[in-house]
Amino acid sequence: RVSSDGKPPKFQPPPKPVIIDRKTQKEERRFLSPEFIPPRGRTDPLKYYMERKDMIQRRKVFNIPEFYVGHVLAVTTADPCASDKSKRFVGICIQRGGKGLGATFVLRNVIEEQGVEICYELYSPRIQAIEVLKLEKRLDENLMYLRDALPEYSTFDVNMRPVPRMAHEEIPVNKLQVRMKPKPWSKRWERPKYNIKGIKFELPEHKMKAAQKWSQPWLEFDMLREYDTSKIEEKIRKELSEELEK
Amino acid sequence: MMPIWTKSGEKHAVTLLKVQDCHVLRYVSKEESGGKTAKLLVGGKNVSPFSKPESAHEIFKEAGVPRKQKVSTFNVTDDAIIKPGTPLYAAHFRPGQFVDVTAKTIGKGFQGVMKRWGFKGQPASHGQTKTHRRPGAISTNQAAKVYRGKKMPGKMGNIYRTSFGLKVWRINTKHDIIYVNGSVPGHTNCLVKVRDSKLPTYKDCNKNPPFPTFFADGDEELPEDLFDEEIFQFTDPSVTFA
Repeated sequence: RVSSDGKPPKFQPPPKPVIIDRKTQKEERRFLSPEFIPPRGRTDPLKYYMERKDMIQRRKVFNIPEFYVGHVLAVTTADPCASDKSKRFVGICIQRGGKGLGATFVLRNVIEEQGVEICYELYSPRIQAIEVLKLEKRLDENLMYLRDALPEYSTFDVNMRPVPRMAHEEIPVNKLQVRMKPKPWSKRWERPKYNIKGIKFELPEHKMKAAQKWSQPWLEFDMLREYDTSKIEEKIRKELSEELEK
Repeated sequence: MMPIWTKSGEKHAVTLLKVQDCHVLRYVSKEESGGKTAKLLVGGKNVSPFSKPESAHEIFKEAGVPRKQKVSTFNVTDDAIIKPGTPLYAAHFRPGQFVDVTAKTIGKGFQGVMKRWGFKGQPASHGQTKTHRRPGAISTNQAAKVYRGKKMPGKMGNIYRTSFGLKVWRINTKHDIIYVNGSVPGHTNCLVKVRDSKLPTYKDCNKNPPFPTFFADGDEELPEDLFDEEIFQFTDPSVTFA
């Protein structure tokens, strides 16, 4: 190229490459509450659609926060017998069950050395507020073994302040291994069917080996039990995001 | 089945029934049928016409309607006669009404006496030889015969049964769905006959229902959802006790 002055053109450095990090973009955390996913069965999908409409309607009026098993929650319910007409209970979420409008979650706490578990319905109109006090996931989806663990693992302060969330990114996983009371337990948690990773088993080796007798290694290859929810989840997520933006 | 909450916070279980392509097929007068009232034949869900012979299609051709899977009769007074061929919708019922629901129960096949009639059977141990679920004695010595209708093992289920006095909580006019209190006989997606309740307590319960039925091409424009007065609607804030 010929420049205006006859001198060689000024060196222009090549443009810096723009690196689009596809991996981090794909991992945007999109949480879908498990009660929206319909169970496998021969029911008409219209029934689940009508239920979802009601659930979305409730969520527009009342905020149900995102929470997993292992979070510490405080729930205020309306109660005609209480003096203030409302009751507040703090506890760790042990399990989330049920689908659709009847979805429930169980909160556990130890109050004055007595273990208390309360099962709340997510969409019940009696619930006035749900606050997430501590965010942490655990290694298992079902913490029923806390009934047979030492009570210190289930005690939570009733007047606990909500722990501020660090950043709007991943929820920390607490890899706590819980110590248990001496046997007998309510269920044989060492058996592979419960698949529990959050207990520190202090049982002798031969007992752990004997428990492996009940393992069913063919279950993970059973094709009739497969239920791929990815496409259903996508549709429901789209529907949810459209409805909640209205 | 779905939960439903009232304004006082109580939970009730509710069954969803869908009104799918219901048409009136024929009018049978009192003298023709030989009963006390006139009858109306009503057909349900549409089905392919190719699996039955032409002779079975006569009723449907007269009414001008595709072949229906189920045809049932309703006893009707003379002022409630409807012209054959009119479609029937869920808005025929109103929330707060009471309703009887009839359907074929889930078939359980050939069942023993303990499951079918609720007999107690015999103990599991203490010397019982090969007798744990048997009926035991079937008659006395003096009768010298077994009475007719003696409860014995046999085919259980797959018979018509009715649940009486079920309250209608909610009606969806867009999808034609009736929300009925409690459980209803039959498996999921089975055909069901819904009728105004015959119980004496609910004789005067219907406050201004659409009579003889709800006509879609009429002037009435109903909202998409009709609720009973006591239902907690999800558009309201949470329940508080004053």
